[in-house]
Amino acid sequence: MRLLWSELRAAVPMILHGNPTLFSVIGFTLQVAVVATVVATIIGVPIGLAIGLGRFRGRQVLRVLANASLALPPVLVGAFLFVLFLPQAPLGSLQLIWTKRVVFVGQTILALPFIVALTAAAVQGLPPGLLAQARLLGAGRIQVSTLALREARIGVMAAVIAALGTALSEVAAVAILGGNIYGYNQTLASATLYEVNGGYYADALAIAIVLTVLILILMCGLAVLQHQGNGIRLRFRSAT
Amino acid sequence: MTAADPVESGSVLLRCEHLTVRRGKRDVVSDVSAELRAGEIVALLGPNGAGKSTLLDALAGALPAAEGRIERRGRVAVALQSPDLARRTVFANMTLALAWWGVPRPERSERAREALRAIGAEHLARRRAATLSGGERRRVHLARAIAVAPDVLLLDEPFAGLDAEVRANLLEDALSAMRSSDRATLVVVHDRAEAWALADRLLILIDGRLVAAGPPRELLERPPSTVVARFLGFDGSLEDGHELLLTRPAHVVLDPAGPLEARVTRAVALEDGVRLELELEHGRLYVVSPLPAPRPGDSVHVRIDGGARFPLADSPRPPHPAPRVPLTRREA
Repeated sequence: MRLLWSELRAAVPMILHGNPTLFSVIGFTLQVAVVATVVATIIGVPIGLAIGLGRFRGRQVLRVLANASLALPPVLVGAFLFVLFLPQAPLGSLQLIWTKRVVFVGQTILALPFIVALTAAAVQGLPPGLLAQARLLGAGRIQVSTLALREARIGVMAAVIAALGTALSEVAAVAILGGNIYGYNQTLASATLYEVNGGYYADALAIAIVLTVLILILMCGLAVLQHQGNGIRLRFRSAT
Repeated sequence: MTAADPVESGSVLLRCEHLTVRRGKRDVVSDVSAELRAGEIVALLGPNGAGKSTLLDALAGALPAAEGRIERRGRVAVALQSPDLARRTVFANMTLALAWWGVPRPERSERAREALRAIGAEHLARRRAATLSGGERRRVHLARAIAVAPDVLLLDEPFAGLDAEVRANLLEDALSAMRSSDRATLVVVHDRAEAWALADRLLILIDGRLVAAGPPRELLERPPSTVVARFLGFDGSLEDGHELLLTRPAHVVLDPAGPLEARVTRAVALEDGVRLELELEHGRLYVVSPLPAPRPGDSVHVRIDGGARFPLADSPRPPHPAPRVPLTRREA
């Protein structure tokens, strides 16, 4: 307990006085998390909509695959991508191993299943008559998709929150693909691992505190956005 | 037929010929031929599972015809049974539907307001869909289908699940809002009272087959078969010589001077009296009696004013030959 207390006392000034390495890690972590979540959302939402709304063959298989990939261990994804990006492998010519770019790629791939599976589930949970009625009143595919996305926005926001959470806190794939290189392509989570392994507990605690605060701030912001629609409804209820 | 032709009142806007619709391997609708004309409101009536909604889906083009063909003139709009609205205001739901229908943006607000006014829902325009009651949701759902001004309007049980008072009010408003000289309207209804209130013509679907078509009064006075008569509420039956007489409660009158003697076997209290089941030598009748009413076990005399007669050959065979009995005058 005394050790924890003394390490905490050493960690707090590190945050307050602005350790430049710590700030560069925070910056890179935010960059990776936001870019990976945005790219995964751009790619994943249309796929989720197609699985949730489409009537094509293989839709059930895709849904099962999307759900199953939620449970994939990140270390497995990291190892698979690492082999794929090795110089002699099919994607070796991209020269991504141990770069910053590969961290973006890895985190995007890990965030994608959350967006796909949770968007599909949110859309499938809509009242069936709503979308059928829209089609019968002449709505085209894009109009039906827009309606579904808007109506399922709370579920889709949950998907984005889950993806962002993964992109912020994932360690294994980042460490395998990027090499967890100090001061270069470390995220807050992988930097914590690095410091603990090196025995620098105060530094590890400082990073862990920052990561926790960052996750809380981002999740609170997204939760407010997610429930904005409900807030409007409550105001109308109280007015009637 | 093309959408460009001007619509004249009475012209056929939708026609199906020998239409069969399958769900899986089962024929849910079999060999149905019917047409809808501009200016008329037609009610599609039938018991649960008769295939009414399936027929409606096929007429709308949402389900393929397994056999037969459907001709449509102009655009068809459908209001499904479930009044699901988007999580927006009522007005936004209206303009959204108009956008789907392809109505130019400047016209949407006025048309939405007009339709809401027509159905008596103008005061709901700024309410959010989630705050509406069941009756209000149905009203908006109906307004949305009317707002798009289709050539053919298909409504699937638009008054389902409403209590009597709300339904009566909505029926009244809907009737004037739906009526248009250049539109054909088909309303699927489960309740006969709704069909009488709304329709110029009835289509009766039983077990996927169209068993009767015609004006409500005509069908009620001369049902074409015993099956149709039973469905239309002819629940009393009496063998009369070589004929079967089917009656509605309104055809049977408790009259001490009546020619037929019956025994009351059951009495069910109603709002305005008692519904009595009467057992006679050659059949069973039902009558609604004002209070005070005879009790089970009592003997009563009745006369019959009206009903529908069918040859016994068309009906299930009676267990014993029935003598000709005078129904409207007392035996000397």
